[in-house]
Amino acid sequence: MSVLPYAVAAWLFGIGLYGIATSRNFIHLVGCLGVCQSATYVLLLGLGYRWGGIAPIFYDHPPGTPAVDPVMQALVLTDIVVGATLTALLLVLTIQAHKRGGSLDPEKLRPMRAGGTSGRGQGASRVSDREQSTS
Amino acid sequence: MSPRVRIALLALAALVLLPGAAEVIAGLPPFGSTIAQYGERINAITPEARHVANMVSAINFDLRGLDTLGEEFMLLAAITGTVVLLRGRRGEGNTGHAMRRPGRAVIPRSEAVILACRIAGPLTALFGLYVVLHATVTPGGGFQGGVILASGTLLIYLGEGYAGWRQAIHSHWLDALEGGGALLFALCGLVPMLTGAAFMQNILPLGTFRDLFSGGLMLVENLGVALAVTGGFTQLFLEFMEETRAADEAEEPGEESA
Amino acid sequence: MTVILPLLFLFTAISGTAVVLVRDPARQVFAIAVNGLVLAILFDGLQAPDVALSELAVGSAAVPLLFLVALMAVRTQSPEEKP
Repeated sequence: MSVLPYAVAAWLFGIGLYGIATSRNFIHLVGCLGVCQSATYVLLLGLGYRWGGIAPIFYDHPPGTPAVDPVMQALVLTDIVVGATLTALLLVLTIQAHKRGGSLDPEKLRPMRAGGTSGRGQGASRVSDREQSTS
Repeated sequence: MSPRVRIALLALAALVLLPGAAEVIAGLPPFGSTIAQYGERINAITPEARHVANMVSAINFDLRGLDTLGEEFMLLAAITGTVVLLRGRRGEGNTGHAMRRPGRAVIPRSEAVILACRIAGPLTALFGLYVVLHATVTPGGGFQGGVILASGTLLIYLGEGYAGWRQAIHSHWLDALEGGGALLFALCGLVPMLTGAAFMQNILPLGTFRDLFSGGLMLVENLGVALAVTGGFTQLFLEFMEETRAADEAEEPGEESA
Repeated sequence: MTVILPLLFLFTAISGTAVVLVRDPARQVFAIAVNGLVLAILFDGLQAPDVALSELAVGSAAVPLLFLVALMAVRTQSPEEKP
């Protein structure tokens, strides 16, 4: 019990990393990144807890009652909003990558070359196949 | 690199890092034993020094207000990046036709959904406003209330449909909300310097403990954060929703958008 | 609290694993929403109500909606042609 939160945080980070490495879909990859972020939330709040402490809000309890750490909670609060915004930005990049490359598969996108066709590896889109078959 | 090589590298890295992680976890204090000294001091002195009951709000807006300023501008920058990326490709036009997948039926909105959204929408907005205002006395604050308000605007979309939603939410208002909130927060930092105090020092009267209007400058900063977060998240929703609309005319081949 | 907290931590680990192991993006959205809910309950158990409010609103309402609309945008548009 005394190391459970830290072990859970390490496990979540590891499984999130495994998900990112083996993902076949960019949108699934962004979800796995969210799991990595939740590992940091669990770690920070686990560090700030005290048995028998109250929430750091002295409205019903008099000031001076043993409370949990408010600094960690402020950190996690900022972290959550930043994480949501970055998830949105990554999803936008995914949509743009799909528009250019035609596929959501990380295996199939290649770096873009200047002047030539944009990254379209083995997974060529249906339209270009049709063009090639009619020409 | 192929997937097998990637998984092999990942396993190798995990094997190398696992002893280090185990060492660190063993060295951390046992869960629940003590909290850091900084947190102890804040809990001890802030109720008297700032007359607020919510320690987390005091840290976010007063004791570590500079970090929140950075976070506000990070929010602004990321949402601006999203808007630029999506609108740069799509243009600024406003169309009402949704894109359809061929062969899938379009199910009209059911009346139970409309009724539920019309009841839940104003209640959510009221609750979000309550959470924003009670930043210094109960759990809550600008961030939480701002996101609740933004998800309340989603209920407008669910209940009224895309046309009704676009009539209610104008993109220019959201830009003004978001930028105005960030500007308000920045002004809260600069205005105390006009009176000779330090950057973001709490110069307004602090009020009484456990009262709604306590905390001084924290309330203004809280308002700024709430405006910025509401505007920002609703702008995100709007941009993403616009992505699913059909283009008005077909793009000419060879035309690059700016 | 000594019984509830270990259970909540284990639920968090399970729901995080579920988010990764569900490969289809349309189904993963539900896993993400459930993960947000479980995290919010965990944060409440760790005496952090501000954080729980924030995580609930963001992780169960805002982020799954963004995922759903991104999926919608990806499925209904055709990739554009380069000449």
